[in-house]
Amino acid sequence: MISGNSPRSSGPAVLIENLDKYYGTFQALRKVSLSVDRGERIVVCGPSGSGKSTMIRCINRLEQHNGGRITVLGTELNDDVGNIDGIRREVGMVFQHFNLFPHMTVLENCMLAPMIVRKVPRADAEATARRYLEKVRIPEQAMKYPGQLSGGQQQRVAIARALCMQPEIMLFDEPTSALDPEMIAEVLDVIVTLASEGMTMICVTHEMGFARRVADRVIFMDGGEIVEQAPPDEFFTSSRNERTRQFLSQVLGH
Amino acid sequence: MVSLLRNQKVRNALLQILYVGSIAAMVLAGIVIARQNLAAQGITSGFDFLFKSTGWDLNFSLLPATANDPYWWYFLIGIINTLFLGTVGLTLATIVGTIVGLARTSSNELARLLGRTYVDIFRNIPLILQVFFWYAVITHLPTPRAAHEGWGFLLTSRGLYIPFPNVSSAALAAATLAVIAAIALPIWLGRTSRLSLPVGQRGGIQLAGTAAALACAAIILVAGRLADSPLLDFPALQGLNLRGGLRIPPEFATLAIAIAIYGGSYIAEIVRGGFKAVGKGQVEAALSLGLGPWRVFMLVRLPLALRAMLPILANQYVWLMKATTMGIAVGFTDFFMIVALTINHSGQTIEAIGILMAGFLVINLSLAAIFNRINKAIALKGNQLRA
Repeated sequence: MISGNSPRSSGPAVLIENLDKYYGTFQALRKVSLSVDRGERIVVCGPSGSGKSTMIRCINRLEQHNGGRITVLGTELNDDVGNIDGIRREVGMVFQHFNLFPHMTVLENCMLAPMIVRKVPRADAEATARRYLEKVRIPEQAMKYPGQLSGGQQQRVAIARALCMQPEIMLFDEPTSALDPEMIAEVLDVIVTLASEGMTMICVTHEMGFARRVADRVIFMDGGEIVEQAPPDEFFTSSRNERTRQFLSQVLGH
Repeated sequence: MVSLLRNQKVRNALLQILYVGSIAAMVLAGIVIARQNLAAQGITSGFDFLFKSTGWDLNFSLLPATANDPYWWYFLIGIINTLFLGTVGLTLATIVGTIVGLARTSSNELARLLGRTYVDIFRNIPLILQVFFWYAVITHLPTPRAAHEGWGFLLTSRGLYIPFPNVSSAALAAATLAVIAAIALPIWLGRTSRLSLPVGQRGGIQLAGTAAALACAAIILVAGRLADSPLLDFPALQGLNLRGGLRIPPEFATLAIAIAIYGGSYIAEIVRGGFKAVGKGQVEAALSLGLGPWRVFMLVRLPLALRAMLPILANQYVWLMKATTMGIAVGFTDFFMIVALTINHSGQTIEAIGILMAGFLVINLSLAAIFNRINKAIALKGNQLRA
């Protein structure tokens, strides 16, 4: 097992096998299995409480799974701290509520982890940070503090912050759910660009238009299980699963 | 005329004049009556007594003091004693509070239980009882001949004796300033270099500043040492008494301990609250970026918790500063005790109390002002914050 090093090898980017997760006696995930290839774009949807967020939070150990196996870039996620650190370095995450560090400037938010975790020299870290801020279209906000930005801008900073670590995989946990409607597009545009460049990504979202546009595969979860997975065309038009059709009618119906 | 009285602005102005006028009248009447009564009792009011010598001694003073010194000098000594006790007490209370507070937020169940027990006990016993308790403990320590000894420290009923550098008082004062600079420098550097230096490198420069200031302190101490004596003076028994080292009198030790332990229990709750207030999201974001637990604590949890703690902490410090007046219960010559003795000896009650109140107002308003500035300086910017 690689320990402390960056896990990079062939095989699927993320391999989840028979994953179980309990909160006390409540079972949040039931024997979930999923394989995500490199460069693949996965959209996960489903009603609230279905285990979508729990599943992707298990991938970088923000939640500890109770059964089954998770292998990320060939490294198994277990109690080995070296493995956990190695995987977290390669897996970026964007949260529903942005979770920027409010006491640091936008630039510092983006430079912190590369400098400390990857030991990137200051000048390089700053150049990388400015490049990604350019990419998410807010280079002029570098010296501001998160609290001085709108929600959409904050979320784009959060994406840039994760990208500055040059991750292999990006996880998005409902990235637009806390945004005002007029800001959703600016964040989704950034994610679409990222997807078109071949980033491996798993995105939990209710934005079905986005799913149709970028997903290679749409996963539908309910009750802690993966109920159905299919390419978007098939998923949206010809799903035969009752629960999927009910969910889609609720999300798309108005 | 009538229309003028119906004018809102005129009405407000008249009410203001009436209000200020009646307060001024009451204050004036109070002064006149007080003067008449004092004159009737044969007491001359005024501040002339400040320049008379006191005729009594002090048991604790950081500056030279004799019975021939005037009252104003004693008041100054009192303020310095109070500030000294306050500084030592607040520092110790902060250390105790931080340790207990962190124990209370720890994931270790035993640490949490110990922390909780500590807070429950020491927060719920009146401060004055704790002062008496610690005074009893310290005055029941063994006599100097049978002192508890360890690492050059001596615990006796006459006080705590600690090794002390054999240096001139000027060098000591200079070294103290250097140590204060060692604490202040990283804060100042952190602020001025906010924009030009990112987080990662600020630490190095701050550390260098602190190290330089501490080195200065050490050089000053070595340079200012008294001729023909070892650098460190260890206390030792000579005849029936102890010689050498620095003696911390039981009264001072009692108050410092009591304020540290009592204040620590309150500060522990403030620390706990501060860490509870840090959003789980920021911690998760830091973890997901691959930062280790220590970095997450130092770079994310602590800075954010400090911001939540500071306003309440300032309040607590002002409170504890006032608690130094417990000195009178065990005979420590703090500002309050000197004022009380002054009243007994000179009879200038109103003036002495006035000076006491003004002194505490100045001390605590300064403390509050300092904290307000720090608060403003580190306040999170913007109003779009999400926890």
